[in-house]
Amino acid sequence: MSKPEASHRHKVGALLFRHETILLLVLLAEWFYFNAVGRKFGTLDNTFDIMRHSAEIGLLALVMTPIILTGGIDLSVGSLLGLCAILFGKLWRDAGLPLPLAAACTLLIGLLAGGLNAVLIARLRLPALIVTLGTYSLFRGFAEAITRGVDTFTNFPDSFLALGQQHFAGLPTQVWFFLAVAVGIWLLVHRTTFGRSLRAIGFAPEGARYAGLAVERRLAQAYILAGIVAALAAIIYTARLGQAKADAGTGYELFAITAVVLGGTSIFGGVGSVHGTLLGVAAIAVLNNGLVHARQPREMAGMLTGALLLAALSASALPKLLAKFRPLRHSAAPPSSP
Amino acid sequence: MKRLFSLALCASLALLSACNKSPESGSSTGSGAKKLTIALMPKSKGNAYFISCKAGADEAAKDLGVELLFDGPTEPDPAKQNEIIENWITLGVDVIAAACENKEGISTALKKAREKGIKVVTYDSDANPNSRDFFINQATPQGIAQTLMDEAARLTDSEGEFAIITASLTAANMNEWRKNIEARLAEKYPKMKLVDTKPCDDLKDKAQAEATNLLSANPNLKLIMAICSPAVPGAAEAVKQAGKTGAVKVIGLGLPSENRKYVREGVTQSVVLWKTKDLGYLTIKAAADLANGKLKPGAKEFDAGKLGTLKIEGDSIVLGQPFIFNDSNIDQFDF
Repeated sequence: MSKPEASHRHKVGALLFRHETILLLVLLAEWFYFNAVGRKFGTLDNTFDIMRHSAEIGLLALVMTPIILTGGIDLSVGSLLGLCAILFGKLWRDAGLPLPLAAACTLLIGLLAGGLNAVLIARLRLPALIVTLGTYSLFRGFAEAITRGVDTFTNFPDSFLALGQQHFAGLPTQVWFFLAVAVGIWLLVHRTTFGRSLRAIGFAPEGARYAGLAVERRLAQAYILAGIVAALAAIIYTARLGQAKADAGTGYELFAITAVVLGGTSIFGGVGSVHGTLLGVAAIAVLNNGLVHARQPREMAGMLTGALLLAALSASALPKLLAKFRPLRHSAAPPSSP
Repeated sequence: MKRLFSLALCASLALLSACNKSPESGSSTGSGAKKLTIALMPKSKGNAYFISCKAGADEAAKDLGVELLFDGPTEPDPAKQNEIIENWITLGVDVIAAACENKEGISTALKKAREKGIKVVTYDSDANPNSRDFFINQATPQGIAQTLMDEAARLTDSEGEFAIITASLTAANMNEWRKNIEARLAEKYPKMKLVDTKPCDDLKDKAQAEATNLLSANPNLKLIMAICSPAVPGAAEAVKQAGKTGAVKVIGLGLPSENRKYVREGVTQSVVLWKTKDLGYLTIKAAADLANGKLKPGAKEFDAGKLGTLKIEGDSIVLGQPFIFNDSNIDQFDF
């Protein structure tokens, strides 16, 4: 859109476009394959199952996208989901708060936890990988310490469980929340200056700073957003399972990162899209679900996800490599002659 | 390029909607076969205990001509059991048999299955009673406690000091067993004395340390009874290292595989558990009969085929008395 980086954007855009097309084709291939060999795979009920089972990881992947666009990462979102889930339970059961208030407080806790990441990463300029590795342990550790690993929160009222288990206006209730967050983040990333500055930071943080962008503030906002949405995911998770335990969301951060990278966002930042992430989430979710319906061992899902990720990455790296290959051969000869 | 993309999208969407009609016709031919489908869920898939349950379940499935699905979590994700059960609900299985890792969480999914007309039994570890039809109970607390206490008495000629190692002093099931052990002791073995009960936090190392302390603090100790599975090899190692093999007997509740070495060496005399294959067999038999209408709520007895007629207590079918693994038979069991 902006003129100065137009030529670069054009190339990258073409590449991205390619990647997402490939992913869409993979998703369709998965769908048709499982629909052909699986039992009751293509039914509406099963489509809803897929949506409900991937809502929490999908939410985490959505907020992971802006972070990875800046060249950062957030390993703490899965742990934060666990911490928020049990704090939500504690606020409701032990502190006696009504559920809506407990939910609001939980979102606030998510904001504060995201804020901790934000201060350390944006203000103190510590590497995101290390900071969130720390909070990854810290948040989960808090959750385990508060419950001593055994306390479980259950017996939530049906009106709350409806959020995770019932339908609203034709879709599983939590899908509406997911869609709202998806649309919000898509607009944020693709239609605002906020989104453009995220990419600029991802391409070259120093350059963005010299260009007058509020780098610290943008980074902080991205991590705080992740905290809030992780808290929302925790509430949905609790409603879906009807229980909150300290081990909720274990390993979800890696699933989320996998979905984002599979969706074509570069782990180095600068390049990527929210719709790519959505395709990535869908490709993984359909694979996981389809294997069950096709009577294949579910353990294959991990293997196939890995293979899919590597194949998708290679496929989109190939044109770049080929483009580089020709000029390289010419310039490679002279240095070896003397 | 952009036009190509949207063209591809439109084409695929059209194909998608066209194909949506096929599943209905596919499923109707599938259900025409009328073969029962029973889905069996372990707490975790790689656990030798549940693999051995599955061997019995496979045998029952073959005998009864039912189709058996076996799936469970491989990773410690508490949401996984629910997701698999929800997949099974959508698949439309006839019966779900589950061993519950997350009691409360899984109960929501099992209740949903029952609402859809799927029969539900639990085995090994129960869910909330209102989320299943029957619980296949491998052993009652009385059965476990009596078997352990009687075996302790047999090995010590019903007299002398003994000590218990438990997982924790607060674990509900173990306290239930201890209560029953003490009741049996008071009732039948007046010359035996329980000198101490130590917790080991379900850790083998801690059990070994506690057993070493027990041995030095109680020179007249004749037997250590370990009622959580890591404590049995832990206590055995302590007795062996103290050079008291045979002088201080070791018995406990645990897996044969973990204790085989010590049983062969004569450090551990008896390991008490149930036959896991029988548990798997009984689970599938009960599941099939529940679906066929042969097993109804309120029944007092259950014809378990090759396992004979078993008692039903309330809504739990009891496998029977626990089994004692010792030097003479432990090599026949591989879990």
